[in-house]
Amino acid sequence: MSKLKEKLEKGQFVITGEIGPPKGVNLEKCLNDAETLRDYVTAINVTDQQSAVLRIGSMAVAARLVQRGLEPVYQLTCRDRNRLALQSDLLSAWALDIQNVLCITGDHPTLGDHKEAKPVYDLDSVQLLHVAKGLNQGYDMADHELDSSPDFFLGAVVTPGLDPVEPQVIKMKKKIDAGCRFFQTQAVYSPEKFEDFANKTRSFGVPVIAGVVILKSAAMAKYMNENVAGISVPDSLISEMADTPKEDRKKKAVEVTARIIRQVKPLCQGVHIMPLGWDELVPQIIKEAELS
Amino acid sequence: MHATIQKPMNEIIDNLKAGEKVFVVGCGNCAAKCHSGGEPETKEMAERLRRRGVTVTGCACTDNGVSLCKLAIVKKMLNETYKAETEQADSFLILACGQGIHTVMDATEGGAVHAGCDTIFGGETVNDDYITEYCSLCGECIVEKTGGLCPVTLCAKGLLNGPCGGAINGKCEVDRNRDCGWQLIYDRLRELGRLDEMAEYITPKNNSKWSRPRSLSMSGSKATFKSLAGEHTVSNVD
Repeated sequence: MSKLKEKLEKGQFVITGEIGPPKGVNLEKCLNDAETLRDYVTAINVTDQQSAVLRIGSMAVAARLVQRGLEPVYQLTCRDRNRLALQSDLLSAWALDIQNVLCITGDHPTLGDHKEAKPVYDLDSVQLLHVAKGLNQGYDMADHELDSSPDFFLGAVVTPGLDPVEPQVIKMKKKIDAGCRFFQTQAVYSPEKFEDFANKTRSFGVPVIAGVVILKSAAMAKYMNENVAGISVPDSLISEMADTPKEDRKKKAVEVTARIIRQVKPLCQGVHIMPLGWDELVPQIIKEAELS
Repeated sequence: MHATIQKPMNEIIDNLKAGEKVFVVGCGNCAAKCHSGGEPETKEMAERLRRRGVTVTGCACTDNGVSLCKLAIVKKMLNETYKAETEQADSFLILACGQGIHTVMDATEGGAVHAGCDTIFGGETVNDDYITEYCSLCGECIVEKTGGLCPVTLCAKGLLNGPCGGAINGKCEVDRNRDCGWQLIYDRLRELGRLDEMAEYITPKNNSKWSRPRSLSMSGSKATFKSLAGEHTVSNVD
């Protein structure tokens, strides 16, 4: 049984991590990244051709985590697969002992490295959840009975920092109705904004795992503010990073990330740490955030 | 209306064989509105080709407001009015949409054709200089649930159940100058006091209604839409 499901259903606070499959067939680095997280996280997300850039598939990498006794959260986007492929991939994933699935829309192909690709989006993320729930119940989306069924623990994403946040909240409710049992969020840098979102969605009763991206520099903060939807790094935090000498940046990153985690902890049921290469900082962040 | 834009002149010339004699055909309706193949553009194209050494036997455009995709009209125009000129031509260069191209083929019983335009979308003529797309011709209209705005068309991903997380300040992730379709739908439903409708689940599209080619037959007050989803007949009177 999914440990992620077990812990969340017991009301426990969870930590999840994330790895990005490489562009190629050598999995050594990404599996090493996963090993770094082994003792600290309940599950590890495996991204699905993140930013619409061609990569090895998330199912293959998730299956390799299973082989090593690590629990993956298999990210599955609607961008590249029609309803036949989505359902078939879900069944395949179950056959590889993958139990957690994060159903997401997926970045548009024009943001990636195959800009002329046909965007599929035959289903949207709400519909995908619906279909995955149906597979769990033993039926495909054409209402045909399966000879045996999976039992996925289904999750989805939400972006709490968008303004206005209401459309996200409306869609979040639809995702829950469609079968979503946990949420992971876009990176949170403003605990105040996150609190507003948490207040609006508390009554939904579905665990929310707050996303935390390790902030490496003021330049990164400014870049994300301009280019990444739903991320707004407060000016005070940008100055804090800017005033830090280069040699102390990692120390500062640990301090800032741990602080954000401590602030959002009472408002959610877990944190999803996205280290973006600074994986070695994760143990220290968890310690300073008083999560261990 | 079908929006069209002329192909680059080099591409048009490259598609003609040496010595090929051409008759240029335009459309007095959609292509005229797009300034890609109305009467002035059709005459101009004939001149542009002649200046490049192409033999143009003549040119014709349907009357102002009349579409080139009306077979009976095109038959009369090409086989009677312009009979002498079309008989001398090896092929037709059509400044219209793909429907117009096929109509010319039908009218001339399989005449050779060249596309002078790219057909880009079906759109609303907002004013004389601007046409934009609000419908994707999907065969299954859902705007009843979205305040009259089509998410299949206005959302870059065609999402039916709300926005992705990619918009910044109401602008789409694929182009920060483009409105997020779901932001428009949200604003519209809120303005109408119908935001509760956004919470309704919209089921996946029946793509077999969108599989081409499709047809529509009319008989009296009845119309029959035929697609891979089957035949669907409705009456437009009680």
